[in-house]
Amino acid sequence: MTETQQVATLDAEAISIQSVSLWRITWRRLFRRRSALVGLGILGILVFIALTAQWLAPYDPIQSMRDVKDYPSEYIKRRLPPCIHLFGCPEEQPQHLAGLDGNNRDEFSRLLYGTRISLWIGFSTVTFAIVIGTVLGALSGYFGGWVDNAIMRIMDVLLAFPSLLLAIAIVTVLGPGLTNALLAIGIVSIPAYARVVRASVLSVREMDYVSATRALGGSNFDILFRRILPNALTPLIVQGTLGIATAILDAAALSFLGLGAQPPMPEWGSMLGAERNQVFTAPHLVFFPGIAIMLTVLAFNLLGDGLRDALDPRLAHVS
Amino acid sequence: MKRNLFALLSLLVLASLALAACGGAATTEAPAEAPTEAPATEVPTEAPATEAPTEAPAAEPTPVPDVPIATYDGTSLSVPPEECNGDYAGLIQSVVAQDDHTVVFTLCRPDPAFLSKIAFNVYGIYPSEWIEATAGDGQRTSEGLEKPVGTGPYMIQEWKRGESVTLVANPNYWGEAAKAETLVFRWSTESAARLLELQAGTVDGIDNVGPDDFETVKADPNLQLVERPALNVFYIGITNTAAPFDNILVRQALAQGIDRQRIVDDFYPPGSEVASHFTPCAIPNGCVGDPWYDFNPEAAKALLEQAGYNASNPFPKIKVYYRDVVRAYLPQVSNVAQDIQAQLKENLGIEAEVVVMESGAFIEASTSGSLTDGIYLLGWNADFPHVTNFLDYHFGAANPQFGKQSETYTELLVQAAQIADPAEAEPLYVQINNAIREYVPMIPVAHGGSGVAYRADVINPQASPLGTELFYASDPGGRDTFVWMQNAEPISLFCADESDGESLRVCEQVTEALYSYEINGTAVKPALAESCTPNEDLTVWTCTLRQGVKFHDGSDFDAKDVVATFNMGLNIGSPFHVGNTNLWEYYDYLWGLMKKPGK
Repeated sequence: MTETQQVATLDAEAISIQSVSLWRITWRRLFRRRSALVGLGILGILVFIALTAQWLAPYDPIQSMRDVKDYPSEYIKRRLPPCIHLFGCPEEQPQHLAGLDGNNRDEFSRLLYGTRISLWIGFSTVTFAIVIGTVLGALSGYFGGWVDNAIMRIMDVLLAFPSLLLAIAIVTVLGPGLTNALLAIGIVSIPAYARVVRASVLSVREMDYVSATRALGGSNFDILFRRILPNALTPLIVQGTLGIATAILDAAALSFLGLGAQPPMPEWGSMLGAERNQVFTAPHLVFFPGIAIMLTVLAFNLLGDGLRDALDPRLAHVS
Repeated sequence: MKRNLFALLSLLVLASLALAACGGAATTEAPAEAPTEAPATEVPTEAPATEAPTEAPAAEPTPVPDVPIATYDGTSLSVPPEECNGDYAGLIQSVVAQDDHTVVFTLCRPDPAFLSKIAFNVYGIYPSEWIEATAGDGQRTSEGLEKPVGTGPYMIQEWKRGESVTLVANPNYWGEAAKAETLVFRWSTESAARLLELQAGTVDGIDNVGPDDFETVKADPNLQLVERPALNVFYIGITNTAAPFDNILVRQALAQGIDRQRIVDDFYPPGSEVASHFTPCAIPNGCVGDPWYDFNPEAAKALLEQAGYNASNPFPKIKVYYRDVVRAYLPQVSNVAQDIQAQLKENLGIEAEVVVMESGAFIEASTSGSLTDGIYLLGWNADFPHVTNFLDYHFGAANPQFGKQSETYTELLVQAAQIADPAEAEPLYVQINNAIREYVPMIPVAHGGSGVAYRADVINPQASPLGTELFYASDPGGRDTFVWMQNAEPISLFCADESDGESLRVCEQVTEALYSYEINGTAVKPALAESCTPNEDLTVWTCTLRQGVKFHDGSDFDAKDVVATFNMGLNIGSPFHVGNTNLWEYYDYLWGLMKKPGK
């Protein structure tokens, strides 16, 4: 017997008490996993950077050093390697922790601002996909029959495409740009959520408490959105966290191809794409954005894995 | 019933998928088909006698097809002489084979650049039988597009699409025999990838070394760098048909508000220079007259203010259009576009958005004058080293790419083009250059140097200012095979109807024109002709052909082949006037097709 079922059989008051402690258990389990903590830590730092980028960044991310007032022009060199005073860069030369990019812009400032864009991309696309996917999946799972058939076949068609290719196709039709890229990634990630929600709705809707609500005369809307969905959300949280990682990666890929963020926006994927030819002559310009993408994706993946373990009741005895 | 419905639905989905896939493929392939320096087809040379009315075009009637006016009988191609003063805008009145080894070109107007033009490889001579046999229906046969027959030092052996073109030495070549038995063309769009191949020794020479790799190549004892002189111009085009660019003050403000020196310093390889004039100084009369405006943001801002733009009436947001294609005149497109975007904001307070377009669409939109809501980044590589190649094409009255051209220079251009002696034409070109500077149809930014790298043991390494390297004269260190890696795959090898430099370089090895350009230079020298001499007023050019020359297919080269080749290129009524795209850009642009507008 799963915990959910035990919870479900309790009366209303008991549910609220019990569910609070369920979340507490989940948190406790999560904190016990070191990898999840690392993920959470990195994520915390990234969020902090995103929120404070304008104070942390030493320069305007889209301003050429040539346009910076009183900047000693003799030190301006395109794709300048990192100049860090601590590591022996001459004191009189302005410091650039990650060097300059192909347009004489401060790479470090661009990386910091890039955090903001990447997190925004991750959260917004996944939120979009979750909202639409949940509604579709819930309707599909709850009503079954032809509704289920129609929705899930459309989802199957979407799933039949490699997601990045479909995103590229959508952006090609809509035209390049960050908003369109977000929309494209959002659309291609809908099926994953729709399936997850449908599966959990299918299992939850057969529960006794649902039958009870129905016997009490609850409307379909009431049953679906107030009784079933809240109890079918756990897998969605896991999927969503992991999905953010995929979304960030996809957006970076689109921008790398020139279909996502447009210059001069400091997006990691487009920064990487713009300098891909300089991988030997100016490796720092490829290395830093690449590391940034890697760390962000890693953070979400670690956290997602941890959440999955923590939320999975079957693993309860393990912790 | 239900099952049928499902079958139908799935078929529909399948069909739409297939359609989408095909559509996608077409868009991705388009760049390959885009002509690079694309002289827009109907643009040039057809300057009407009276200045075209500029605004308010009359309601356009359905287009009437052009009427062919030439007659061709195998030894003579001609249009009636009176057409020269009529609706025929072309330059050539007749091409006549006087005997087997003499061809006479009669022109409607004097042409001082005749030899420079005739040496262009697009006018390479094909055997008359081959021209007829490969004409095809609406497009040349694949034999005609992929295996041209010429007289050159190399013959096409095989074109593996997407991979390489292999050529073998012509054993019967009339001139100096090719040093390497086999010549292979390969391509890669990434300069880093080209350099890697060269360093690995899998290729012997690469085109367009990345600007940042010049030092790497120079420092490598296994490689040598040959700098290609800048015979090109990168300009910022402004289409002046709509606000705010219809205001000359705005254009002059832009001309002074962009720091061109900074662009050249930051984004161009050594050997490049800031453009003082549209035409490079290496070309006679190219840079006479006042040099371009100095960078002066204060004066520029004052001009904008004078034009009525201030805090309460801010300058509208504009676009900076470009295509992400590397050319010698613009080696780092996207960086330059972003720098211009940043400069517009910083120096003039103008907000701009950079818009990258697919190459073909960009060329079409920019050269037809449709990019009216912004500026565009384009350039020009010399086709033939004459000032008319730069100025007449861009600033002729009929070219819509900058919107309305100014009569102050269009009329002078027509006059100047009829003077053979550069010294005599100089005062006119001074006036023309000054008028262009005043009117600002575009902003000339840079003449971009580029570099070609070879393995160190390659003897006689070449870097032609015109991009027409003749590899028969280079020895790949005694190896049998010379492998050359360029930017892109040829579009077709029927170069009479191509304008893409990557295609022309392959054709250069295979076909020959009456004259050719000297190696690593721009001066002309006789090729299939032993000489072409003009009459006094430069309207009749008599060419004596080289004897004993054989085509790759074994047939003899004679005057009829020359007439047949020009018939194929110029005579729109001929059944052999069939090419790849059928635009015949260079035939149309340098000579003018033999036609007149239908009534």
